[in-house]
Amino acid sequence: MLDIDELRSKFLDLEFDRTGFVIEAEKSAAAAKAYGETRPEFTDPTDPNFQACLPILASLASGRQLPIDFPSLGGISMDGGKAVTSIEPVPFGVQLTGRTHLHDIYAKSGRSGRMVFLVSRIQLYDDAGTHLASTDSRQVIREKPE
Amino acid sequence: MSIQILSDVEFGMDLPEFQPDTTLDATSKFANIVGYSGGGRFEDHEQARAQGLPGALMPGIMSMGYLSRVIHEWAPTGTIKHIDTVFRAPVLADQNHAIAAVVTDIDEDTGEVIIDLSIKNEKDETRVFGTATVTIPK
Repeated sequence: MLDIDELRSKFLDLEFDRTGFVIEAEKSAAAAKAYGETRPEFTDPTDPNFQACLPILASLASGRQLPIDFPSLGGISMDGGKAVTSIEPVPFGVQLTGRTHLHDIYAKSGRSGRMVFLVSRIQLYDDAGTHLASTDSRQVIREKPE
Repeated sequence: MSIQILSDVEFGMDLPEFQPDTTLDATSKFANIVGYSGGGRFEDHEQARAQGLPGALMPGIMSMGYLSRVIHEWAPTGTIKHIDTVFRAPVLADQNHAIAAVVTDIDEDTGEVIIDLSIKNEKDETRVFGTATVTIPK
């Protein structure tokens, strides 16, 4: 069983991936309409306040899920959740950069064993280096019993 | 009641309950738009079961979309600054679910309102829960 404190000290807050993204206005509008969003600022690309809907930001995926030297935890990995923090409006059709690091590592133990939670955070920047948004992906791994 | 300004918000108030569209048509359409389609887990019950799932699922980020929609309809002038959704268990396609949301904190200085969110199935089991921080004009 891996030591969570050791993993935290070795891997937290170190950038392990940098990926370019271009967010398409039509795709974001279509996604928003598909879950019934009614505000034009999310559904109408011609709206002056048009902006990316939250699920589109949450769908961004880094090139790597974990640092290349992160040890295997075994077990079954599941999508444990997503979070989005909006800081500035995210522009469409321009090159953005996502910088990814492990934001948190923690474990919960129960009768069926230990579950390890890995929270990867993508920080989204524009060409000027402005931090626009952050998205968290929470990966849950149920460890195999030893 | 539609929320326009911060003083309209009361601690402990419930947002209107909402039933998301979980039909396969809806989940597969959304999955296709965001690039999640092709594996069958959001589009076809049999293909999903063949992968060990209890049936086709609603994509987790579609849950986030419905939760944000509920907030946007409740507070048309509000802005979601942060939303965190925990996928506790799958939301199965073609099954009825209900979204509930309640105001748990109001910061009069910043204009921020904290809302607890959940999606439950017909057995009253929580499938998704989370929180949102929403700014509302004073």
